[in-house]
Amino acid sequence: MSEALVEKLKEVLRPVNNFHLDSSLSCLSIMQAIFEIKRENDVVIVSKGHSAPAFYVILWKLGLLKSEDLETFAEIDGLPSHITREIPFAEVSSGSLGQGLSVANGIALAKRIDGDDGRVFVILGDGELDEGQIWEAAMTASHYGLDNVIAVVDRNFGQLTGSTEEIMRKEPLAEKWKAFGWEVREVRNDVETIKETMIELDSVKGKPKVIIAKI
Amino acid sequence: MEALAKMKVESFREAFGQALVDIGRRNEKIVVVDADVKKSTKTIYFEKEFPERFIQVGISEQDMIGTAAGLAIAGKIPVVSAFAVFLMRAWEQIRNTVARDNLNVKIIATHSGFSDYLDGSSHQCLEDIALMRVLPNMKVVVPADAYATRVLLEQIVEDEGPAYMRIGRDYAPRVYDGEELRLGHANVLREGSDVLIISAGVMVSMALRAAEILRGKGIEAGVVDVHTVKPLDEGTLTRLARKVNLVVTAEEHSIYGGLGGAVAELLSEKVPRRVIRIGTSTFGRSSRDYLSLLERYGLTAEAISSKIMEVLK
Repeated sequence: MSEALVEKLKEVLRPVNNFHLDSSLSCLSIMQAIFEIKRENDVVIVSKGHSAPAFYVILWKLGLLKSEDLETFAEIDGLPSHITREIPFAEVSSGSLGQGLSVANGIALAKRIDGDDGRVFVILGDGELDEGQIWEAAMTASHYGLDNVIAVVDRNFGQLTGSTEEIMRKEPLAEKWKAFGWEVREVRNDVETIKETMIELDSVKGKPKVIIAKI
Repeated sequence: MEALAKMKVESFREAFGQALVDIGRRNEKIVVVDADVKKSTKTIYFEKEFPERFIQVGISEQDMIGTAAGLAIAGKIPVVSAFAVFLMRAWEQIRNTVARDNLNVKIIATHSGFSDYLDGSSHQCLEDIALMRVLPNMKVVVPADAYATRVLLEQIVEDEGPAYMRIGRDYAPRVYDGEELRLGHANVLREGSDVLIISAGVMVSMALRAAEILRGKGIEAGVVDVHTVKPLDEGTLTRLARKVNLVVTAEEHSIYGGLGGAVAELLSEKVPRRVIRIGTSTFGRSSRDYLSLLERYGLTAEAISSKIMEVLK
């Protein structure tokens, strides 16, 4: 991942007491990978809205936000602390965990009805997987064989008050997704690996796909 | 009870299920999402006609709301339907995803109030108007009968933005016969100089009959159907309230935060009047008969008129 992006992220978060810095750091490569392979009719859902700062830094890299915009992070009329819909590429507001995969499914189902071959990328936090709605949505995606849904789990092993395995055990995580009918890849959390995996997964048809990106 | 049994009654959910098919024929954007209650809500009619536009998510109301949000983002007009009380477990999803983003999701809650009489307190929803009314962007609609259900459903679907429509199960005593009903406009059914009864849903027919009883006792009661609880038709309500000294609200819902709460909020600021709220303040209970529950909770025409006479004394 680009050092410049990391530096920018730290700079953005310095005045706000490093607000969700770790959650954003582990998300940078995932977002970078997605935006590097994203096609026109693909959609990106940031379910873990706490990683908004990483999203803004990526938009800055894409030239959609200026440095001055980033400086307004969490100011009253500035960039909102969690993802809201008025931001470019933010299809849906998040910040409340567990809801993005359902929304991704809805968009994917609409695309199917409309004969649109666009993909729906959805970025999930590993802590977020505690939410029951994620598993409801995991069943829905698999039931409908939504192969245009590509979830990426930001497997950073940390959640708000401790390690994911201590707060609520996630492992064996890959087996859980497999049991729910998903095509699963466990990979290293870096831009090239995630991109290669996504390209490889394009040829898998008939089921939704999840990449567990491990720090 | 005898008088109630003789009334011309239709079914809310039948009206909804059939109207949805008609609307689906005219509008290809309509997609229906179900949480395994299609036989009870009657969205099964839509599934039979348009299987490709019917999405089953299983018993998962939270996922259903999120899926509908995604469909709306992608340009569809999703209609989600389930028992009112179980939609409330997705209140936070409705708040944070649907209402916050002003998404074009239509939420149709069936089996509201006491209408799911046999299933008891777990299934009877007496809090939903309050919960939905508090959400920015959300419209809240409570049709009085089967006709109003059809007409207002059409208007909700044509209107951009999130809406919550609350209907009962099968007991829809006929109030209307082809009249014009407009979303956002309260419908004045009867003018009166002594008391104004403001009601919604099944209670509209009860209010009309209460007004008849009161006329026999020399009391002239106005009756207004506030089928759109939000946005509240402030103009009509303040105009009517100015003519009377007593305002009574009647709803198959908690007295806290529902139609009664909305009216009390409005009048306390604009037209100070004594407001008596008729509704519930406890959970329901199971019964073999819907009307017995309305009687138990003081929601019949007789109970409304007695309450008014007691206050006017």
